[in-house]
Amino acid sequence: MRGYLRQVWTIAWKDLRVELRTWERLAAMGAFVVLAAVLFNYAMDRGIVHPREIAAGLIWVTIVLAGLMGLARTFELEKEDGAMEGLLVAPVPRDALYLGKVLSNSILLGGVVLLTVAVFALFFQVALPSNPLPLMAVLALGTVGFVALGTLFSGITAGSRMGGSLLPVLLFPLLVPLVTFGSASTAHLLAGFPPGESAYSLRVLTAFTLVALTAGVVLFRFIVED
Amino acid sequence: MEKRRGRFQVKAEATRREASSHMTLRAVRWWGLSLGAVGVALTIVFHWQVFFWVPTEASMGIVQRIFYIHLPGAWVAFLAFGIVALCSAVYLWLGEEKLDHAALAAAEGGMVFTTIVLVSGPLWARLAWGTWWTWEPRLTLTLLLWFIYLGYFLVRNSTQNRDRGRKFAAVVGIVGALNIPLIHMSVLWFRSLHPQPVVARTDGPQLHPDMATTVFTALGAWTLVFLSLFILRYGTARLEARAERTSVDMGDPLSAEQGAVTS
Repeated sequence: MRGYLRQVWTIAWKDLRVELRTWERLAAMGAFVVLAAVLFNYAMDRGIVHPREIAAGLIWVTIVLAGLMGLARTFELEKEDGAMEGLLVAPVPRDALYLGKVLSNSILLGGVVLLTVAVFALFFQVALPSNPLPLMAVLALGTVGFVALGTLFSGITAGSRMGGSLLPVLLFPLLVPLVTFGSASTAHLLAGFPPGESAYSLRVLTAFTLVALTAGVVLFRFIVED
Repeated sequence: MEKRRGRFQVKAEATRREASSHMTLRAVRWWGLSLGAVGVALTIVFHWQVFFWVPTEASMGIVQRIFYIHLPGAWVAFLAFGIVALCSAVYLWLGEEKLDHAALAAAEGGMVFTTIVLVSGPLWARLAWGTWWTWEPRLTLTLLLWFIYLGYFLVRNSTQNRDRGRKFAAVVGIVGALNIPLIHMSVLWFRSLHPQPVVARTDGPQLHPDMATTVFTALGAWTLVFLSLFILRYGTARLEARAERTSVDMGDPLSAEQGAVTS
Protein backbone atom coordinates (compact mmCIF):
# COMPACT_ATOMS: atom_id res chain seq x y z
CA MET A 1 0.00 0.00 0.00
CA ARG A 2 2.78 2.40 0.93
CA GLY A 3 4.65 1.44 -2.19
CA TYR A 4 1.52 2.19 -4.23
CA LEU A 5 1.12 5.62 -2.64
CA ARG A 6 4.78 6.31 -3.32
CA GLN A 7 4.21 5.50 -7.00
CA VAL A 8 1.20 7.83 -7.13
CA TRP A 9 3.21 10.59 -5.49
CA THR A 10 6.18 10.03 -7.83
CA ILE A 11 3.95 10.58 -10.88
CA ALA A 12 2.29 13.61 -9.30
CA TRP A 13 5.59 15.10 -8.20
CA LYS A 14 7.01 14.67 -11.73
CA ASP A 15 4.12 16.77 -13.10
CA LEU A 16 4.35 19.33 -10.33
CA ARG A 17 8.09 19.72 -10.81
CA VAL A 18 7.63 20.32 -14.53
CA GLU A 19 5.00 22.92 -13.64
CA LEU A 20 7.22 24.57 -11.02
CA ARG A 21 9.96 24.98 -13.62
CA THR A 22 7.81 26.66 -16.24
CA TRP A 23 4.68 27.93 -14.42
CA GLU A 24 2.96 27.57 -17.80
CA ARG A 25 -0.36 26.13 -16.79
CA LEU A 26 -0.71 28.03 -13.53
CA ALA A 27 0.12 31.33 -15.24
CA ALA A 28 -2.38 30.66 -18.02
CA MET A 29 -5.16 29.53 -15.69
CA GLY A 30 -4.49 32.30 -13.17
CA ALA A 31 -4.55 35.00 -15.83
CA PHE A 32 -7.71 33.44 -17.25
CA VAL A 33 -9.49 33.63 -13.88
CA VAL A 34 -8.58 37.27 -13.24
CA LEU A 35 -9.43 38.37 -16.77
CA ALA A 36 -12.71 36.43 -16.77
CA ALA A 37 -13.71 38.30 -13.61
CA VAL A 38 -12.83 41.60 -15.31
CA LEU A 39 -15.02 40.64 -18.28
CA PHE A 40 -17.86 39.65 -15.94
CA ASN A 41 -17.66 43.12 -14.45
CA TYR A 42 -18.19 44.80 -17.80
CA ALA A 43 -20.72 42.22 -18.98
CA MET A 44 -23.18 43.20 -16.25
CA ASP A 45 -25.33 46.24 -15.75
CA ARG A 46 -25.01 46.94 -12.05
CA GLY A 47 -28.32 48.73 -12.06
CA ILE A 48 -30.00 45.40 -12.76
CA VAL A 49 -27.82 42.83 -11.06
CA HIS A 50 -24.74 43.12 -8.89
CA PRO A 51 -22.10 40.43 -9.62
CA ARG A 52 -22.08 39.64 -5.89
CA GLU A 53 -25.64 38.30 -6.12
CA ILE A 54 -24.69 35.66 -8.65
CA ALA A 55 -21.09 35.22 -7.46
CA ALA A 56 -21.46 31.53 -6.57
CA GLY A 57 -22.58 30.59 -10.07
CA LEU A 58 -19.94 32.76 -11.73
CA ILE A 59 -17.23 31.26 -9.52
CA TRP A 60 -18.18 27.74 -10.56
CA VAL A 61 -18.41 28.55 -14.25
CA THR A 62 -15.01 30.25 -14.04
CA ILE A 63 -13.51 27.23 -12.27
CA VAL A 64 -14.95 24.84 -14.86
CA LEU A 65 -13.65 26.88 -17.81
CA ALA A 66 -10.21 27.50 -16.30
CA GLY A 67 -9.98 23.85 -15.29
CA LEU A 68 -10.94 22.76 -18.78
CA MET A 69 -8.04 24.77 -20.14
CA GLY A 70 -5.59 23.26 -17.68
CA LEU A 71 -6.89 19.71 -17.99
CA ALA A 72 -6.64 19.73 -21.76
CA ARG A 73 -2.89 20.02 -21.28
CA THR A 74 -2.61 17.05 -18.89
CA PHE A 75 -1.10 14.77 -21.50
CA GLU A 76 0.31 17.40 -23.87
CA LEU A 77 3.88 17.07 -22.61
CA GLU A 78 3.68 13.30 -22.77
CA LYS A 79 2.57 13.44 -26.39
CA GLU A 80 5.88 15.00 -27.38
CA ASP A 81 9.03 12.93 -27.94
CA GLY A 82 7.28 9.66 -27.11
CA ALA A 83 7.25 10.50 -23.41
CA MET A 84 3.92 8.69 -23.07
CA GLU A 85 5.56 5.41 -24.08
CA GLY A 86 8.23 6.06 -21.49
CA LEU A 87 5.60 6.61 -18.83
CA LEU A 88 3.71 3.48 -19.87
CA VAL A 89 6.75 1.21 -19.65
CA ALA A 90 7.54 2.52 -16.18
CA PRO A 91 6.90 -0.18 -13.54
CA VAL A 92 3.77 1.58 -12.31
CA PRO A 93 0.22 0.22 -12.59
CA ARG A 94 -2.07 2.22 -14.85
CA ASP A 95 -4.37 3.21 -12.00
CA ALA A 96 -1.44 4.65 -10.05
CA LEU A 97 -0.56 6.65 -13.15
CA TYR A 98 -4.14 7.93 -13.31
CA LEU A 99 -4.27 8.76 -9.60
CA GLY A 100 -0.92 10.54 -9.83
CA LYS A 101 -2.25 12.69 -12.66
CA VAL A 102 -5.44 13.36 -10.67
CA LEU A 103 -3.37 14.38 -7.66
CA SER A 104 -1.14 16.81 -9.55
CA ASN A 105 -4.10 18.26 -11.47
CA SER A 106 -6.08 18.65 -8.24
CA ILE A 107 -3.25 20.52 -6.56
CA LEU A 108 -2.88 22.86 -9.53
CA LEU A 109 -6.62 23.42 -9.94
CA GLY A 110 -7.00 23.78 -6.18
CA GLY A 111 -4.63 26.74 -6.30
CA VAL A 112 -6.65 28.24 -9.15
CA VAL A 113 -9.89 27.72 -7.19
CA LEU A 114 -8.51 29.60 -4.19
CA LEU A 115 -7.37 32.39 -6.51
CA THR A 116 -10.85 32.53 -8.07
CA VAL A 117 -12.54 32.95 -4.70
CA ALA A 118 -10.00 35.58 -3.68
CA VAL A 119 -10.49 37.49 -6.94
CA PHE A 120 -14.25 37.50 -6.51
CA ALA A 121 -13.91 38.62 -2.90
CA LEU A 122 -11.64 41.45 -4.00
CA PHE A 123 -13.40 42.59 -7.18
CA PHE A 124 -17.04 42.13 -6.21
CA GLN A 125 -16.91 42.49 -2.41
CA VAL A 126 -18.13 38.94 -1.90
CA ALA A 127 -18.14 38.42 1.88
CA LEU A 128 -16.38 35.20 2.78
CA PRO A 129 -17.91 33.20 5.65
CA SER A 130 -16.20 33.56 9.04
CA ASN A 131 -15.75 29.80 9.28
CA PRO A 132 -14.12 28.90 5.95
CA LEU A 133 -14.03 25.13 6.53
CA PRO A 134 -17.42 24.16 5.00
CA LEU A 135 -16.72 26.29 1.91
CA MET A 136 -13.25 24.77 1.61
CA ALA A 137 -14.79 21.29 1.81
CA VAL A 138 -17.27 22.07 -0.98
CA LEU A 139 -14.57 23.57 -3.20
CA ALA A 140 -12.13 20.72 -2.51
CA LEU A 141 -14.71 18.05 -3.31
CA GLY A 142 -15.74 19.90 -6.44
CA THR A 143 -12.14 20.23 -7.57
CA VAL A 144 -11.28 16.56 -7.06
CA GLY A 145 -14.53 15.37 -8.71
CA PHE A 146 -14.01 17.64 -11.69
CA VAL A 147 -10.37 16.64 -12.06
CA ALA A 148 -11.16 12.92 -11.67
CA LEU A 149 -13.53 13.05 -14.64
CA GLY A 150 -11.48 15.58 -16.59
CA THR A 151 -8.23 13.65 -16.35
CA LEU A 152 -9.91 10.52 -17.71
CA PHE A 153 -11.45 12.42 -20.61
CA SER A 154 -8.32 14.42 -21.37
CA GLY A 155 -6.61 11.07 -21.82
CA ILE A 156 -9.24 10.37 -24.48
CA THR A 157 -8.96 13.73 -26.23
CA ALA A 158 -5.16 13.56 -26.19
CA GLY A 159 -5.43 10.38 -28.25
CA SER A 160 -7.96 11.83 -30.69
CA ARG A 161 -7.59 14.09 -33.69
CA MET A 162 -10.08 16.63 -32.34
CA GLY A 163 -7.98 17.31 -29.27
CA GLY A 164 -9.15 19.85 -26.74
CA SER A 165 -12.24 20.91 -28.70
CA LEU A 166 -13.80 17.56 -27.82
CA LEU A 167 -13.29 17.93 -24.08
CA PRO A 168 -16.23 20.25 -23.31
CA VAL A 169 -18.63 18.10 -25.35
CA LEU A 170 -17.68 15.05 -23.32
CA LEU A 171 -17.34 16.77 -19.98
CA PHE A 172 -20.08 19.39 -19.69
CA PRO A 173 -23.13 17.08 -19.71
CA LEU A 174 -21.56 15.05 -16.91
CA LEU A 175 -20.62 18.12 -14.89
CA VAL A 176 -24.24 19.11 -14.33
CA PRO A 177 -24.43 17.52 -10.82
CA LEU A 178 -21.15 19.16 -9.83
CA VAL A 179 -22.17 22.64 -10.93
CA THR A 180 -25.72 22.30 -9.55
CA PHE A 181 -24.78 21.23 -6.05
CA GLY A 182 -21.43 23.01 -5.98
CA SER A 183 -22.85 26.42 -6.76
CA ALA A 184 -25.98 25.88 -4.66
CA SER A 185 -23.98 25.09 -1.53
CA THR A 186 -21.46 27.83 -2.30
CA ALA A 187 -24.28 30.34 -2.62
CA HIS A 188 -25.78 29.19 0.69
CA LEU A 189 -22.46 29.37 2.51
CA LEU A 190 -21.61 32.79 1.06
CA ALA A 191 -25.02 34.04 2.12
CA GLY A 192 -24.23 32.95 5.66
CA PHE A 193 -26.67 30.05 5.94
CA PRO A 194 -25.74 27.44 8.56
CA PRO A 195 -23.48 24.75 7.06
CA GLY A 196 -26.00 22.06 8.02
CA GLU A 197 -28.20 23.19 5.13
CA SER A 198 -25.50 22.22 2.66
CA ALA A 199 -25.18 18.68 3.99
CA TYR A 200 -27.24 17.20 1.15
CA SER A 201 -25.17 18.99 -1.49
CA LEU A 202 -21.99 17.80 0.16
CA ARG A 203 -23.25 14.23 0.11
CA VAL A 204 -24.07 14.41 -3.61
CA LEU A 205 -20.69 16.00 -4.35
CA THR A 206 -18.98 13.21 -2.42
CA ALA A 207 -20.93 10.60 -4.37
CA PHE A 208 -20.02 12.30 -7.65
CA THR A 209 -16.34 12.39 -6.72
CA LEU A 210 -16.29 8.75 -5.66
CA VAL A 211 -18.07 7.60 -8.84
CA ALA A 212 -15.70 9.64 -11.01
CA LEU A 213 -12.59 8.36 -9.22
CA THR A 214 -13.76 4.73 -9.37
CA ALA A 215 -14.61 5.02 -13.07
CA GLY A 216 -11.22 6.60 -13.75
CA VAL A 217 -9.26 3.98 -11.81
CA VAL A 218 -11.06 1.13 -13.56
CA LEU A 219 -11.26 2.57 -17.09
CA PHE A 220 -8.02 4.54 -17.47
CA ARG A 221 -6.05 1.47 -18.56
CA PHE A 222 -8.28 1.08 -21.62
CA ILE A 223 -7.59 4.52 -22.99
CA VAL A 224 -3.79 4.53 -22.72
CA GLU A 225 -3.23 1.06 -24.13
CA ASP A 226 -3.23 0.40 -27.84
CA MET B 1 3.34 -32.28 -46.45
CA GLU B 2 2.81 -31.42 -42.83
CA LYS B 3 2.91 -27.77 -43.73
CA ARG B 4 0.34 -28.22 -46.49
CA ARG B 5 -2.15 -29.89 -44.24
CA GLY B 6 -1.69 -27.09 -41.76
CA ARG B 7 -2.48 -24.53 -44.37
CA PHE B 8 -5.47 -26.51 -45.56
CA GLN B 9 -6.83 -26.77 -42.05
CA VAL B 10 -6.50 -23.06 -41.58
CA LYS B 11 -8.38 -22.48 -44.80
CA ALA B 12 -11.11 -24.94 -43.85
CA GLU B 13 -11.54 -23.25 -40.52
CA ALA B 14 -11.77 -19.85 -42.18
CA THR B 15 -14.47 -21.20 -44.50
CA ARG B 16 -16.33 -22.67 -41.57
CA ARG B 17 -16.13 -19.42 -39.67
CA GLU B 18 -17.36 -17.55 -42.71
CA ALA B 19 -20.26 -20.01 -43.04
CA SER B 20 -21.28 -19.67 -39.42
CA SER B 21 -21.12 -15.90 -39.63
CA HIS B 22 -23.27 -16.21 -42.76
CA MET B 23 -25.80 -18.11 -40.68
CA THR B 24 -25.88 -15.44 -38.00
CA LEU B 25 -26.30 -12.77 -40.63
CA ARG B 26 -29.26 -14.65 -42.04
CA ALA B 27 -30.75 -14.85 -38.55
CA VAL B 28 -30.04 -11.15 -38.10
CA ARG B 29 -31.91 -10.33 -41.29
CA TRP B 30 -34.85 -12.57 -40.39
CA TRP B 31 -35.26 -11.27 -36.83
CA GLY B 32 -34.61 -7.67 -37.80
CA LEU B 33 -37.19 -7.67 -40.56
CA SER B 34 -39.88 -9.62 -38.72
CA LEU B 35 -39.60 -7.62 -35.50
CA GLY B 36 -39.61 -4.48 -37.65
CA ALA B 37 -42.77 -5.60 -39.46
CA VAL B 38 -44.62 -6.24 -36.18
CA GLY B 39 -43.27 -3.00 -34.74
CA VAL B 40 -44.40 -0.90 -37.71
CA ALA B 41 -47.82 -2.59 -37.71
CA LEU B 42 -48.23 -1.83 -34.00
CA THR B 43 -47.04 1.74 -34.62
CA ILE B 44 -49.85 2.17 -37.13
CA VAL B 45 -52.30 0.65 -34.64
CA PHE B 46 -51.27 2.94 -31.81
CA HIS B 47 -51.42 6.01 -34.01
CA TRP B 48 -54.95 5.02 -34.95
CA GLN B 49 -55.70 4.63 -31.23
CA VAL B 50 -54.16 8.01 -30.44
CA PHE B 51 -56.04 9.87 -33.17
CA PHE B 52 -59.44 8.15 -33.24
CA TRP B 53 -59.98 5.82 -30.35
CA VAL B 54 -58.58 6.86 -26.99
CA PRO B 55 -60.75 9.22 -24.89
CA THR B 56 -59.54 12.82 -24.52
CA GLU B 57 -58.02 13.59 -21.15
CA ALA B 58 -60.29 15.88 -19.12
CA SER B 59 -57.96 18.56 -17.74
CA MET B 60 -55.26 18.83 -20.42
CA GLY B 61 -57.47 18.24 -23.43
CA ILE B 62 -56.31 17.14 -26.85
CA VAL B 63 -52.65 18.04 -26.22
CA GLN B 64 -52.27 15.16 -23.83
CA ARG B 65 -52.24 12.80 -26.81
CA ILE B 66 -48.60 13.76 -27.53
CA PHE B 67 -47.85 11.83 -24.36
CA TYR B 68 -48.43 8.53 -26.21
CA ILE B 69 -45.48 9.38 -28.48
CA HIS B 70 -43.35 11.10 -25.87
CA LEU B 71 -43.34 8.43 -23.17
CA PRO B 72 -42.46 5.39 -25.35
CA GLY B 73 -39.72 7.46 -26.99
CA ALA B 74 -38.22 8.25 -23.59
CA TRP B 75 -38.46 4.63 -22.48
CA VAL B 76 -36.66 3.41 -25.61
CA ALA B 77 -34.02 6.14 -25.32
CA PHE B 78 -33.10 4.98 -21.83
CA LEU B 79 -33.29 1.31 -22.81
CA ALA B 80 -30.84 2.05 -25.64
CA PHE B 81 -28.49 3.87 -23.32
CA GLY B 82 -28.52 0.91 -20.96
CA ILE B 83 -27.62 -1.42 -23.83
CA VAL B 84 -24.80 0.92 -24.93
CA ALA B 85 -23.33 0.93 -21.42
CA LEU B 86 -23.70 -2.83 -20.94
CA CYS B 87 -22.22 -3.75 -24.32
CA SER B 88 -19.41 -1.20 -23.87
CA ALA B 89 -18.47 -2.61 -20.47
CA VAL B 90 -18.41 -6.21 -21.71
CA TYR B 91 -16.54 -5.06 -24.83
CA LEU B 92 -13.76 -3.54 -22.74
CA TRP B 93 -13.70 -6.66 -20.61
CA LEU B 94 -13.61 -9.30 -23.38
CA GLY B 95 -12.41 -7.26 -26.34
CA GLU B 96 -14.98 -8.84 -28.70
CA GLU B 97 -15.54 -6.65 -31.74
CA LYS B 98 -19.16 -7.85 -31.96
CA LEU B 99 -20.03 -6.18 -28.67
CA ASP B 100 -18.73 -2.87 -29.90
CA HIS B 101 -20.90 -3.22 -32.99
CA ALA B 102 -23.89 -3.89 -30.74
CA ALA B 103 -23.10 -0.79 -28.66
CA LEU B 104 -22.85 1.31 -31.81
CA ALA B 105 -26.17 -0.03 -33.12
CA ALA B 106 -27.89 0.74 -29.81
CA ALA B 107 -26.39 4.24 -29.68
CA GLU B 108 -27.64 5.09 -33.16
CA GLY B 109 -31.12 3.80 -32.36
CA GLY B 110 -31.05 5.64 -29.03
CA MET B 111 -30.13 8.89 -30.76
CA VAL B 112 -33.24 8.61 -32.98
CA PHE B 113 -35.61 8.12 -30.04
CA THR B 114 -33.90 10.75 -27.89
CA THR B 115 -34.50 13.19 -30.74
CA ILE B 116 -38.19 12.17 -30.83
CA VAL B 117 -38.46 12.95 -27.11
CA LEU B 118 -36.72 16.29 -27.55
CA VAL B 119 -39.09 17.28 -30.36
CA SER B 120 -42.34 16.06 -28.81
CA GLY B 121 -41.53 17.44 -25.33
CA PRO B 122 -41.29 21.13 -26.29
CA LEU B 123 -44.31 20.81 -28.60
CA TRP B 124 -46.34 19.62 -25.65
CA ALA B 125 -44.81 22.17 -23.30
CA ARG B 126 -45.72 25.03 -25.65
CA LEU B 127 -49.39 24.09 -25.50
CA ALA B 128 -49.61 22.88 -21.91
CA TRP B 129 -47.25 25.25 -20.12
CA GLY B 130 -47.11 28.10 -22.67
CA THR B 131 -43.37 27.87 -23.27
CA TRP B 132 -41.17 25.91 -25.64
CA TRP B 133 -38.51 25.18 -23.11
CA THR B 134 -38.54 24.82 -19.35
CA TRP B 135 -35.81 23.41 -17.16
CA GLU B 136 -38.05 20.52 -16.47
CA PRO B 137 -35.94 17.67 -15.05
CA ARG B 138 -36.73 14.85 -17.41
CA LEU B 139 -36.58 17.06 -20.48
CA THR B 140 -33.22 18.45 -19.35
CA LEU B 141 -31.97 14.94 -18.66
CA THR B 142 -32.97 13.90 -22.18
CA LEU B 143 -31.13 16.88 -23.66
CA LEU B 144 -27.98 15.93 -21.77
CA LEU B 145 -28.44 12.31 -22.83
CA TRP B 146 -28.56 13.50 -26.45
CA PHE B 147 -25.24 15.29 -25.99
CA ILE B 148 -23.65 12.28 -24.31
CA TYR B 149 -24.63 10.24 -27.38
CA LEU B 150 -23.15 13.00 -29.56
CA GLY B 151 -19.86 12.78 -27.66
CA TYR B 152 -19.98 9.00 -28.08
CA PHE B 153 -20.12 9.33 -31.88
CA LEU B 154 -17.58 12.16 -32.08
CA VAL B 155 -15.05 10.24 -30.01
CA ARG B 156 -15.57 7.08 -32.02
CA ASN B 157 -14.59 8.70 -35.27
CA SER B 158 -11.86 10.98 -33.99
CA THR B 159 -8.93 8.56 -33.87
CA GLN B 160 -6.63 7.22 -36.56
CA ASN B 161 -6.50 3.84 -34.91
CA ARG B 162 -10.05 2.56 -35.09
CA ASP B 163 -9.70 0.21 -32.11
CA ARG B 164 -8.70 3.12 -29.92
CA GLY B 165 -11.75 5.07 -31.02
CA ARG B 166 -13.92 2.11 -30.04
CA LYS B 167 -12.34 1.89 -26.62
CA PHE B 168 -12.70 5.64 -26.11
CA ALA B 169 -16.36 5.48 -27.10
CA ALA B 170 -16.93 2.55 -24.74
CA VAL B 171 -15.43 4.54 -21.86
CA VAL B 172 -17.68 7.50 -22.70
CA GLY B 173 -20.73 5.21 -22.83
CA ILE B 174 -19.95 3.68 -19.44
CA VAL B 175 -19.09 6.91 -17.63
CA GLY B 176 -22.18 8.57 -19.11
CA ALA B 177 -24.43 5.82 -17.80
CA LEU B 178 -22.79 5.91 -14.36
CA ASN B 179 -23.51 9.61 -14.14
CA ILE B 180 -27.13 9.44 -15.27
CA PRO B 181 -28.50 8.85 -11.72
CA LEU B 182 -26.56 11.84 -10.38
CA ILE B 183 -27.62 14.05 -13.27
CA HIS B 184 -31.18 12.91 -12.62
CA MET B 185 -30.87 13.88 -8.96
CA SER B 186 -29.61 17.35 -9.83
CA VAL B 187 -32.21 18.12 -12.43
CA LEU B 188 -34.93 16.86 -10.07
CA TRP B 189 -33.60 19.09 -7.38
CA PHE B 190 -34.69 22.07 -9.42
CA ARG B 191 -38.38 21.72 -8.63
CA SER B 192 -40.30 19.65 -11.09
CA LEU B 193 -43.08 21.00 -13.27
CA HIS B 194 -43.38 17.64 -14.95
CA PRO B 195 -46.60 15.70 -14.42
CA GLN B 196 -46.04 13.05 -11.77
CA PRO B 197 -45.57 9.50 -13.01
CA VAL B 198 -48.89 7.95 -13.95
CA VAL B 199 -47.86 4.59 -15.38
CA ALA B 200 -44.98 3.35 -13.25
CA ARG B 201 -46.58 3.47 -9.83
CA THR B 202 -46.60 0.89 -7.10
CA ASP B 203 -50.39 0.93 -6.75
CA GLY B 204 -50.93 0.19 -10.42
CA PRO B 205 -51.45 2.55 -13.36
CA GLN B 206 -53.81 5.46 -12.63
CA LEU B 207 -55.09 5.67 -16.15
CA HIS B 208 -58.35 5.13 -17.92
CA PRO B 209 -58.16 1.52 -19.22
CA ASP B 210 -58.31 2.67 -22.86
CA MET B 211 -55.45 5.10 -22.24
CA ALA B 212 -53.45 2.35 -20.58
CA THR B 213 -54.05 0.10 -23.59
CA THR B 214 -52.83 2.84 -25.94
CA VAL B 215 -49.71 3.51 -23.86
CA PHE B 216 -48.79 -0.13 -23.69
CA THR B 217 -49.40 -0.62 -27.42
CA ALA B 218 -47.12 2.34 -28.09
CA LEU B 219 -44.47 1.04 -25.69
CA GLY B 220 -44.53 -2.37 -27.33
CA ALA B 221 -44.53 -0.91 -30.85
CA TRP B 222 -41.50 1.31 -30.37
CA THR B 223 -39.58 -1.23 -28.36
CA LEU B 224 -39.98 -3.62 -31.30
CA VAL B 225 -39.09 -0.92 -33.84
CA PHE B 226 -35.98 -0.13 -31.82
CA LEU B 227 -34.98 -3.78 -31.50
CA SER B 228 -35.43 -4.20 -35.24
CA LEU B 229 -33.27 -1.15 -36.01
CA PHE B 230 -30.75 -2.37 -33.46
CA ILE B 231 -30.50 -5.84 -34.99
CA LEU B 232 -30.36 -4.60 -38.59
CA ARG B 233 -27.73 -1.96 -37.80
CA TYR B 234 -25.73 -4.60 -35.97
CA GLY B 235 -25.88 -6.79 -39.08
CA THR B 236 -24.69 -3.90 -41.25
CA ALA B 237 -21.77 -3.25 -38.93
CA ARG B 238 -20.79 -6.93 -39.10
CA LEU B 239 -20.98 -6.85 -42.91
CA GLU B 240 -18.88 -3.69 -43.04
CA ALA B 241 -16.23 -5.30 -40.87
CA ARG B 242 -16.24 -8.39 -43.04
CA ALA B 243 -16.02 -6.40 -46.27
CA GLU B 244 -13.07 -4.53 -44.84
CA ARG B 245 -11.28 -7.73 -43.89
CA THR B 246 -11.93 -9.21 -47.33
CA SER B 247 -10.59 -6.19 -49.19
CA VAL B 248 -7.45 -6.26 -47.06
CA ASP B 249 -7.04 -9.99 -47.75
CA MET B 250 -7.46 -9.47 -51.47
CA GLY B 251 -4.57 -7.04 -51.37
CA ASP B 252 -6.48 -4.04 -52.62
CA PRO B 253 -3.64 -1.51 -52.41
CA LEU B 254 -5.78 1.30 -51.02
CA SER B 255 -7.41 -0.72 -48.25
CA ALA B 256 -4.17 -2.53 -47.49
CA GLU B 257 -2.51 0.80 -46.97
CA GLN B 258 -5.36 1.99 -44.80
CA GLY B 259 -5.23 -1.26 -42.88
CA ALA B 260 -1.56 -0.71 -42.22
CA VAL B 261 -2.18 2.81 -40.98
CA THR B 262 -5.12 1.94 -38.78
CA SER B 263 -3.75 -1.21 -37.18
